Amino acid sequence: MRFLIARSHGRAGETHYDTFEVEVKKGDTVLDVLFRIQDEHDPSLAFRYSCRGAVCGSCAMLINKQPQLACRTQVMGLGEKDMHLRPFPAIETVPPEWSPAQGVLVEPLPNLPVLKDLVVDMRPFFRALRDMELWAAPAQEPRTQGPEGRARIQRYLDCIMCAICYGSCPVNAEHSDYVGPAALAKALRFYADSRVTDRQRFLDAALAPNAAPMCELIMNCVRACPKGVAPGGAIRQLKALGHGHATDTQ
Amino acid sequence: MTIRHDVLIVGAGLAGLRTAIGLAEHCDVAVVTKTHPLRSHSVAAQGGINAALGKDDSWERHAFDTVKGSDYLADQDAVEVLTKNAAAAVYECERWGTAFSRNDDGTIAQRPFGGASFPRTCYAADRTGHNLLHTVYEQALRLGVTVYEEWFATSLVVSGGRVTGLVALELSSGDVLGLASRAVVLATGGFGRVYGRSTNALINTGDGCAMALRAGAPLKDMEFVQFHPTTLYGSNILITEGARGEGGVLTNSEGHRFMGEYAPDQMELAPRDIVARAIQTEIDSGRGVDGQYVWLDLRHLGASRIKERLPGIREICMHFGGVDPVDEPIPVQPGQHYSMGGVHCDWTGKTPVKGLYAVGETSCMSVHGANRLGGNSLLETLVFGAVTARTVAKDLASTGEPDVTAVEDAAFRERERLQGLLLRKTGSRPTDIRRELGPVMDRLVGVFRNETGLTEALGRVRGLQGQAQRASLGETDREFNYALVRALELENMLLLAEAITLGALMRRESRGAHWRTDYPQRNDEEFLKHTLVTGAPGALAVQYTDVHLGRFEVKERKY
Ligand SMILES: Cc1cc2nc3c(=O)[nH]c(=O)nc-3n(C[C@H](O)[C@H](O)[C@H](O)COP(=O)(O)OP(=O)(O)OC[C@H]3O[C@@H](n4cnc5c(N)ncnc54)[C@H](O)[C@@H]3O)c2cc1C
Ligand code: SF4
Ligand code: FES
Repeated sequence: MRFLIARSHGRAGETHYDTFEVEVKKGDTVLDVLFRIQDEHDPSLAFRYSCRGAVCGSCAMLINKQPQLACRTQVMGLGEKDMHLRPFPAIETVPPEWSPAQGVLVEPLPNLPVLKDLVVDMRPFFRALRDMELWAAPAQEPRTQGPEGRARIQRYLDCIMCAICYGSCPVNAEHSDYVGPAALAKALRFYADSRVTDRQRFLDAALAPNAAPMCELIMNCVRACPKGVAPGGAIRQLKALGHGHATDTQ
Repeated sequence: MTIRHDVLIVGAGLAGLRTAIGLAEHCDVAVVTKTHPLRSHSVAAQGGINAALGKDDSWERHAFDTVKGSDYLADQDAVEVLTKNAAAAVYECERWGTAFSRNDDGTIAQRPFGGASFPRTCYAADRTGHNLLHTVYEQALRLGVTVYEEWFATSLVVSGGRVTGLVALELSSGDVLGLASRAVVLATGGFGRVYGRSTNALINTGDGCAMALRAGAPLKDMEFVQFHPTTLYGSNILITEGARGEGGVLTNSEGHRFMGEYAPDQMELAPRDIVARAIQTEIDSGRGVDGQYVWLDLRHLGASRIKERLPGIREICMHFGGVDPVDEPIPVQPGQHYSMGGVHCDWTGKTPVKGLYAVGETSCMSVHGANRLGGNSLLETLVFGAVTARTVAKDLASTGEPDVTAVEDAAFRERERLQGLLLRKTGSRPTDIRRELGPVMDRLVGVFRNETGLTEALGRVRGLQGQAQRASLGETDREFNYALVRALELENMLLLAEAITLGALMRRESRGAHWRTDYPQRNDEEFLKHTLVTGAPGALAVQYTDVHLGRFEVKERKY
């Protein structure tokens, strides 16, 4: 099978595409193929990995123009997948040498600066955690929490910080200062946690000008998230809370 | 340029971050990690963390289960610290925000786990490690802990008999830099990737153990490696006991349900090690499929039951194996799962080398002895992260400034060495060496071991070490040179492979996870002892040291 892979050397460098012919068998993931290319064809190919089991969030990239975890994407069956994302330039523009019939296209995750090949600079994505102070203040004593209290935040807890939502968002594509969907889902995770006593600060952070108000509810994040976090739903709730509606999250 | 901190911690999993949190308010601490902290293998732990929270449970019972599970090789003083501090460690994470699963009355829910006499495993759905790691990371952010992300530590620097810093490769630039410190804590996790088949993350290559050995610290009990019976053929992702608990059956290439011959009463639900040995026996006797795996068949449960009760397992099979268990049986085989051995240290985290500490899966204190109980290793990272932080803080008071010159010299030498490796135009490819190492370890130092196999493995590993010294990477770039990282990891794994194999060869008994077909009995007279490996690659030596016994009398391990 043919793989077309975006290559580049750093921020200033040009991007070009390299083509590799790789044998694939049933069960192979895109990550398996990338390792095979690094091992057999080009040891300089750079991409991130760790768990190879879709739990660590390392390997987000654009595969056939859809942001996905390379380790969770089966090569066979790639053709059938369509996330129905609202288009923006990074996922719309196709290199002239590629069409889906000709093989698999692998590119870095959009909306973050490319450092090398498929490795992007994750700092803008992670910066929001610090800027919005997305952590709990330690409590003096352990608390109880009903199962329904936990269930309310379960979906946001499942976020693996892979940045696929960030890379799929047309607003992030245009505004590099937008904190992005994952940080907002995490803000709601704390705001809606029945144990949190200083919840207002999470709402305030989420309603800052470069946060929830920037979101246009396009919902690409909901379609692309590999973990069912549905950050767009969280943002909708945060917006409503900002307008004084929907106060029953806690 | 040499960077300076009071304390350097290598590794940003649960153990490393918990240690950093403990030190953050006492001194200038920095964490060096080869991946972003949230990518650490701790994130993958599913099942849970043990603590005697219930009124009918006690730390003593937890301690007894742990010691018995260890086949009496655990140090009982260390186990006592582990179990006495367990509840506090769980409650600390609760206070920091971890969303544990709950009982109806709002208390932390607990479930039964293998080898435990009481349901004492706390969990956060089936994502316990994920929830704990995110919490501990958040707290490290809150405290402003300095993290050198995507810096690969290559070696420790020793001067005047004490560790005075380390050398690391900054992945983004390709620069090799010295970092000087008054203490170094190794928290680099396990070394599962020494094996070809492992449930571990790809980054679990045991770098910390290899660095410690080269710096003169012994490795302890390396031959004790836990194997999980059912890992998905291909990627070796864990297929939990849950699949068998729901009624999944194991069949061989002849379609025969073979567990009847090995454990007629418990069948598929026999203890892990028994099931692992049964599957391996089928494969070794030519009744494996393609000589590689057996089937875990769920089809008879029906689509609705599979979808309702085992959605996670179905998802794993579809995404990672391209198999839907509703329509097809799941191909499974045993795989490496946990490393009981590690850097020799006492329960305070101190190694015999001054200024060097170890904690988490990379250490061997030893709380797991010959066999770890599920749910005890997450606990180990948190309890001993806090303990080790206290030890380091105390020792700093009497520790002078680091030897910056020695660190600069070491960085210079490491730069030369890596240059040499990068410039070498001919030689074996690291890929080919790696592909040979895995199967040698799986086959000869795996579930079953014997003198002939281990001797052969030792020779082959040493041969591969020789090849690795003359390896050539091919054309690479300076920035994000993952081929270089993987070559350095391979060097580390080859050293550990030798230590594991040598330990297994010399231990002429069967105990816990170490199963010698030629010595099927436990032999307390000779081997109720910890193995210590020291020395240089190709010439490692074995010694033994006493187990710290205590309140629990050594008995036969029977369930
Ligand atoms: C599939 C699976 C499920 C498990 N489930 C459970 C469970 O339910 N309960 C339980 O108690 N245990 C479980 N375990 C075991 C448990 O997850 C681990 O033992 C534990 O998380 C180890 O934590 P750690 O902090 O020691 O290491 P890790 O989390 O592995 O962290 C190691 C760190 O070291 C860094 N590092 C490594 N080498 C270098 C280097 N050269 N330079 C710089 N940094 C480096 C890495 O980047 C990483 O940050 C499970 C294990 C597996 C494989
Ligand atoms: S919300 Fe989903 S897509 Fe976004 S970072 Fe979290 S897991 Fe990834
Ligand atoms: S490698 Fe961890 S999510 Fe893909």
